[in-house]
Amino acid sequence: MDNKTLILVVDDDPDLVEAISMKLESENYRVAKAYDGIQAWDRIRQERPNLIILDVMMPNKNGYQVCDELKKDPQYSNITVVLLTAVGESVTSTKYTHMDGKTALADEFIPKPIDLDSLMEIVKDYTR
Amino acid sequence: MMREESKGTNYGIKILVVDDEKRIRDACRAMLSNEGFEVALAENGFAGLKRIEEEHFDIILLDLMMPGMSGIDLLTHVKAKHPDTLVIVITGYATLEHAIEAMKKGAFDFISKPFSPKDLRTVTAKAIEYIRTLEDIAHEKSRMGVLINHISDGVMATDMERLVALANPAFLRMIGYRGESAIGKSVTDLIRNENLLQVIEKALSMPAEEFGEVTEEFAEGALTDTEERVLAVRCVPFRDRLHRNLGTVTVMHDITASKKMDQMKSDFVSMVAHEIKSPMNSVLAMVKVIQDGLAGELTEKQREMLGRISEKIKGLADLAAELLDLSRIESGLITMEKGRLQLEPLLREQIEFHKAKARNKHISLSMDHVPELPPVLVNSRSIEEVFSNLISNAIRYTPEGGSIVVSAGVEQGYVLVSVKDNGFGIGKQDQDRIFERFYRVKNDQTRLITGTGLGLAIVKSIVDAHNGMIKVDSDIGRGSTFSVYLPIMQP
Repeated sequence: MDNKTLILVVDDDPDLVEAISMKLESENYRVAKAYDGIQAWDRIRQERPNLIILDVMMPNKNGYQVCDELKKDPQYSNITVVLLTAVGESVTSTKYTHMDGKTALADEFIPKPIDLDSLMEIVKDYTR
Repeated sequence: MMREESKGTNYGIKILVVDDEKRIRDACRAMLSNEGFEVALAENGFAGLKRIEEEHFDIILLDLMMPGMSGIDLLTHVKAKHPDTLVIVITGYATLEHAIEAMKKGAFDFISKPFSPKDLRTVTAKAIEYIRTLEDIAHEKSRMGVLINHISDGVMATDMERLVALANPAFLRMIGYRGESAIGKSVTDLIRNENLLQVIEKALSMPAEEFGEVTEEFAEGALTDTEERVLAVRCVPFRDRLHRNLGTVTVMHDITASKKMDQMKSDFVSMVAHEIKSPMNSVLAMVKVIQDGLAGELTEKQREMLGRISEKIKGLADLAAELLDLSRIESGLITMEKGRLQLEPLLREQIEFHKAKARNKHISLSMDHVPELPPVLVNSRSIEEVFSNLISNAIRYTPEGGSIVVSAGVEQGYVLVSVKDNGFGIGKQDQDRIFERFYRVKNDQTRLITGTGLGLAIVKSIVDAHNGMIKVDSDIGRGSTFSVYLPIMQP
């Protein structure tokens, strides 16, 4: 398995970050962690992850903002973003998720509660 | 109209008999006292005048032909002093012209000599009827006046010329009017708010055969600059016997408190749900990591129990998510942004999305042939949730090997989408209640199906917020069809 692939996990709940990280590490990914939007940007600049698992609801800059800035920046726009959407929707199937009427151009959306197995499937698909 | 019948119709009615013939005076007294009247007598015009100066009589029986002051003269005095006293003139046989003259001067009626007790009873009864009716109207007016002036709802009535016929203090306070008496003024002098004036216009122009009311809600500070009130306004035209519009009545009800309570409840539910939901997500992920053996080896029993823990927590997380949804729908957040949408691609997407779950239960999930659908004006994410809920319900309440068909069409101004299954079905007694919050159908077949009881409540709230309808048609053992009607978007 490719051990050069770096995944950045961003969520304000350290327990969730740890759980996702353990799962990723068990699949031989390298993992970086951040707990809010600002920290996320620090990690992105310093470590240039291949893929970001990004929570939406976070203090100090939410996931939509991070995603929006990243996808608009040619330096980083090729990084895959998997958004964890938890804003009240119990079922989300498609990609037109709105917040404040805007559409975020993430590569993938996963509704919370997260099914770790499907998350791994998606990560594998994008990092193959 | 209430009358104090128990005391007798004539109780408390005062009658003065003015006649120069003692025989007639006595006969009248005997008969009228017997009827329950208070009777006073006067033997000529001067004596009569003296009596009416001392006290008020309801009825005066007045002989026209008397020596000294004539009956007509006394009648003039009575009408000047006591306009509401009813005068019945007593006329001689050949003096009809006198009677007519008396009527012109304001007499209520006349009776000609000689008269029988029955004639007298008839003419007094007619006068009593008249007095009682006037009294009833006066009482009713006074009662209405007190009522309208003291209720906390604002009430205003206008005529067809938009002149104010009535406006209670609560109404004037609600619109922030502090000028002189509002009665007789044009509504445009009273009311500044264009929307409120339009509400009244709408009611005024409502066709006579149509019964209806115009309702509108005015948000905080819309009607007055200072008061932060939410007012529910209803305006109804009122009509005469022939159903012609005579004017409007506007009633304003202050719903500030209930609005605030609603908001508080929504905020509270959403706060609690959110606070519960986030940690649930982490717990689920951690349980999964342990289950997968990433935190050390597990026994089979431990793995199995963790599986059950996970299911329970998922149930709670779903409940929290749905509570959050419901409170967001109720506070109007979800349906705020509507856009033009073609339903068919959304339905196909939903079917694709649920195919895996259906396949697990060997249920066939398909879409019927759909004619070309006109667009609807909706919040696409909410509508997506409606069909997602209906389809996932159908999967849950249909046994293995069943089938689910989604179809769509156009029906009288609506786009109609149906989700039809051949599952367990819903009994008639449950059909009315399945859209209530937390209501779940409990029987042997559904006992093991988990759910929050909020899904259909959410579906209904969303459909309602789009001015649509949802119907269910179901038979136990044969399956259910849920039909959603969404209004076609007006071009």
